[in-house]
Order: sequence, then C-alpha cells, then structure tokens
Amino acid sequence: MSTSSRNPMKDLVAFAGAATTGFSAHNTDRTPLSLAAEACSKLLRECGLKASDIDGICGPSSVSAGDLQNTLGIPELTWWSNPPIPFVNQVIQAASAVHAGVCDTVLVYHVPYRHAFFTASALRDPFRRVMPAIAPGGNPDTMWGPIGYTAWASRYIHDYNVPKERFGLVAINDRSNAQDNPGAAMREPMTMDDYMSARMVRWPLCLLDMDVPVDGADAFIITTTERARDLPFSPVMINAAVLGMVDANVEDQTVSLEHHGHHVVAKALKAKSDFWIDDIDVYFPYDGFTIITLNWLENIGFCGRGEAGDFLAANWDAEKNRILINGRIPVNPHGGALSEGGTQGSGHIREAIHQLQGRAGVRQVANARRTLVTAGGFFYNAQGLALHRD
Amino acid sequence: MSRSISDSDLVSTFAHLGIDRDSAAHYAGRLEHLLLINRCGECSTYHHPPRPMCAKCWSTDVAATEVTGNGVIDLLIFLHQGPQAPGVDYSTPYPVASVALDEQAGLRFTATVIGSPNEEIAIGQRVTLDWFDRAGVPTPAFRLVGGAA
Repeated sequence: MSTSSRNPMKDLVAFAGAATTGFSAHNTDRTPLSLAAEACSKLLRECGLKASDIDGICGPSSVSAGDLQNTLGIPELTWWSNPPIPFVNQVIQAASAVHAGVCDTVLVYHVPYRHAFFTASALRDPFRRVMPAIAPGGNPDTMWGPIGYTAWASRYIHDYNVPKERFGLVAINDRSNAQDNPGAAMREPMTMDDYMSARMVRWPLCLLDMDVPVDGADAFIITTTERARDLPFSPVMINAAVLGMVDANVEDQTVSLEHHGHHVVAKALKAKSDFWIDDIDVYFPYDGFTIITLNWLENIGFCGRGEAGDFLAANWDAEKNRILINGRIPVNPHGGALSEGGTQGSGHIREAIHQLQGRAGVRQVANARRTLVTAGGFFYNAQGLALHRD
Repeated sequence: MSRSISDSDLVSTFAHLGIDRDSAAHYAGRLEHLLLINRCGECSTYHHPPRPMCAKCWSTDVAATEVTGNGVIDLLIFLHQGPQAPGVDYSTPYPVASVALDEQAGLRFTATVIGSPNEEIAIGQRVTLDWFDRAGVPTPAFRLVGGAA
C-alpha cells in the first residue's frame, strides 16, 4: 500500500471555536437534542454568529441535522450529514464540505449519552429504554465491539508480561487531570489502590479501565481559515486529518496489536502533516479503554512494542500524579474519556482547540501551538488529527 | 442449498446472533453439530465471519465447509458480567476464547470454554471442539485437550 502525502485542504479549513455543556455520569432529565441545542447555542453566542451565518450541520445520527436545524431556527442549509462516530468522522466530513465549497460555515456537534445499552441505571429510565438499541445483545460468546478491547488487552498482558498497574497509570492520569476540569464527570482523586481494587467487569479489564457513560454535548464551528480570522478566537487550523482501517478488522480476526487501524493512521497522518510527536505541546490519545492509550503511545512512536507502561512510569509527574512526556507534554489534560466522560473523541478535540486558542483556563499549557489527536480504537474507527495555530 | 429446516425457522432460531443470508449455512450447520467456516472453491482460503466473496481472489464460489475445531487459544477473557443468556451465571466468570484453528494461520473462531475450571484455561493451550445446548439450540464450545500445554 502506498501512503499518500497529498493534502490540498491543509491549513485552509479551521475550527473557529468549541463549547461544551460539561458532562454528568448520572442520568439527566434531558434529551440528546436538548443537550446539543444548549452546546450549539452557547457556542454561536461566544463566536458572535447568528443562526443565518450557519449553512452546514454535522453530528452523530443520535440527533438528526434536521431536528437540530429546526430547534435552533437555522434558516437555510446547503449541506448536512450524520455520519457514524467517533468524532473525527464528523470533523473530516464537515471540513471536506467546506473545502469543496458545498457550504461555508458548519455547526458540528456531538452528544455523548447514557444509552440504555451502557449501564443498568440508564436502562431504568423508561425514556432511554424506548430509544433505538445501539448494540446487539443476548450473546455472551463473542468478542464483538467493546469486548474486543478486553480480548486484546488480555493478549497484550500475556505477550509483554505487563503488570496491571501500568494500565492504572492511564486511568490515574485522566483522573488527576479531571480535577482541573469543572465539566468533568469524575473528579474525585484516584489512587493505585482504588484502581487495583475496582470491580472486575471483563477480566482483565475493570470498571476503571473503561470510559464513563455520560450525558452532555460538545459543539464546534468549522469554516475556512480565512473566515475564522474574522471571528473572535484564533483559528485552529486542520493541518491533516485521516481515518484508518485494515482488511482484517473483525475483532477476533485482527492479525495482531502490530497491524490494525492505528498503524494506518500513524503512517498517513505523518505523511500528510507538517509536524510530529517531537513538535507537539499537548497530546490527545484516545482512552475509551486503557489498552487503547497504551497501544497508541507505541503505534505513534513514543516508545517500542509493549513498552508503553514503562514509558508512562518514566514520564510520570509525581507532584501532579499525571503523565508529562519529556517533562513537557501533558496527555489528555481535560481528563479524557475515563474521567471527563466517554465522548468518543469530541472532548479530546474540544480541549485541543481550547488549548491552542489559549482558552483552557487553569489547564492551559503555556504557549501551546501544535497538537496531535489520535482518536478511536483498533478495529473500525482509528482516526487522527494534526491541529495547530499561527 | 437444501436444508432440513425452513428459512423462517432458521432465522427465528438464530435471530439474536445476527443471522443473514451470508451466514445462514454456518448457523444451519450448528443444528447438526458441524462447525462450518466459509472456504473459497477457487483458492481454498478460509475466512470468518461468513462473507459473500473470497477476500483473497474475489471468487464468489465460497461454501460453508466443515473444520475440525482443533486449535490453540489466541485470545481469552472472563466475563464477570454480560448479556442475559440462558444458563449463563456470571457469578463464576464466564470464559470466552478466540481459537486459532489448525486449518489456516490467523483463522479464529470465538466460543466459550467448557469442562475445565477457569484457573486451568490460558492463552496458548490446545483445544478441541465440543457442543452444548443453550435453550435447546446446539452451541459450539471449546474443551481443553489433555493437561496443561
């Protein structure tokens, strides 16, 4: 396979802003549409945009573009789409539509939601029970979907003799960072004892290896970099964006942890972008399961096979109880999927934008200019974004 | 392909496993305690789950073909909780294994492991195929071969 460096959209499309409702790990009495409308209206006000300034809408299928347009009173659209998550799908489709001239300014949103499938307490809410099922049930003899991550975590531990405490560093990093994020769902400090004694869900992964089902929404404006320069916040330019998938993509048929979607993303993102891991100021690896973060660190080139846990221990900021790569690069400073909430990547991208715009409050990384977001997992949804500012 | 069961009965028996026309022969095989894996009639390559075409040579001459079910545990987890299924009690963690089948490198089939305490089940152990009934439906499972590998 050839990896193309062709990238005609480079830096011509940008995020003008991002906003969030914050996230709750308890059932709210809100619909996904209500949460999306709150995040979107907040962002439009912050950016000084009117409803009539928007001519594109893109978000997950759980809230249709039409319902959101109707709710916000956006008079006319020339483009909309509801692709599947995770969230770099939405970003790439919106940016491509802007670059192609199908529309000029897209309102992009995501609504992480405590669907009945995720938790017993979500299942108790009758309004959630009548929502369309998002996953099959009734068959324990499968490595389908989220279970596949447990299967490969088990294999990783077996192949590299990795102590479970190394997975715990990913969870503790997120929790320590979430303490500085008022919008995070889980902010109580976490010790290694807390992690090691957490309820086992699917051996070898426990409750704290898995992201937190939350209610909440993120919203974004994607437009031309030229247009974004006229808006209040500095543009965050999309330097490169890719998805990655291999042919052996079924969870139990994946060739190995050395050959899956992450490797396609790493190769293609590196070929298309102008900067790489030594050049970034903050890093956003996906963390829907702890094993995904460990494997991203290896697959993006921070360390060798099976070495991610040792790498985290060697790059640990003992004072703040979190990862600081080379004493400089924080990892998921918003608390990630494991502590801010399971946002399928939208939280990572929102925080990346706020960091590069200098709007991350007490979490601000000094003079942050460049970042990589490596979203998604191994099988059907690996994704990458290279973002920077002037 | 002629079957002894109607399409309607076959679909209702396996609806919860996501049966479709491409996987129908595999599920029909289960009713006769046969583990059938799609194999290409042109280049002899196996693949799973069942697809309508061989990914190696694009032949549509693929047929559900019996395999021994002998192999080695490649992936292994124990469910401490999981979907409701007849006879599954997660109070003893429920093993699920992806087994590399002897027929072809990299070809795996996923099922539970029966007949051994969880402490004896591990990645790398040889297994053979067995069957048990779940709510009256034959269900494939693996059983450890001999002692520890």
